Amino acid sequence: MIGNRHEAEDLAQEAFLRAYVNIHSYDEKRKFSTWLYRIATNLSIDRIRKKKPDVYLDAEIKGTDGINLYAQIPNDEALPEQQVESLEMQTLIQEEIMSLPPKYRSVIALRFMDELSLKEISEILQLPVGTIKTRIHRGREALRKKLRHI
Amino acid sequence: MNCNKEAIQLMHQYLDGDIKKEDEDRLRLHLQTCSDCQRHFHELKRTVALITSHTNLTTSSEFANNVMAQLPKEKKRMSAKR
Repeated sequence: MIGNRHEAEDLAQEAFLRAYVNIHSYDEKRKFSTWLYRIATNLSIDRIRKKKPDVYLDAEIKGTDGINLYAQIPNDEALPEQQVESLEMQTLIQEEIMSLPPKYRSVIALRFMDELSLKEISEILQLPVGTIKTRIHRGREALRKKLRHI
Repeated sequence: MNCNKEAIQLMHQYLDGDIKKEDEDRLRLHLQTCSDCQRHFHELKRTVALITSHTNLTTSSEFANNVMAQLPKEKKRMSAKR
């Protein structure tokens, strides 16, 4: 949902800390994971809303002649060909998911990566099940169009 | 069956595991005769397979330790009570 391992872990860590500090507000009659997911999802959505990319890798560095930040990134060490392919595929799919608006991204992540039920997603996002279904359908159609040729 | 609306709606219901038996039968019959819908259905199933199989959600090995290290320390007074 965040598209960046470092940032995602940062947010996950923050979610655990918030859960720990606010444990008194957890309602024991409800499922704990739903509560924890809600904290994490809300933090992620907040982060996406606030986020403005501060560095563009392809922006030219001042005072250089056409050199951008891509040129500054060291090459990854060589990996077996198959691993590279699967990594490329993973990156490509991740990019397509990241190109969706956040409201679709959150349901796609909860449904297909965390494999939660429609009902649980509805409780996490505090939206009716019907709304979750519509978003899953639209998100899945959007991704179908993006991924059909790969 | 209207391919653009009804059939596609039923495909999504099927993929959500949320389809009535009679609708599933109607969808199956329709797919046997409509190649456009067959392709659409195949693409949807493949999309789901791609996004489920190509995501790596494991955390780094230090993650749990980092979280534990950041938890606020219990107040001494509280722990003395136990």
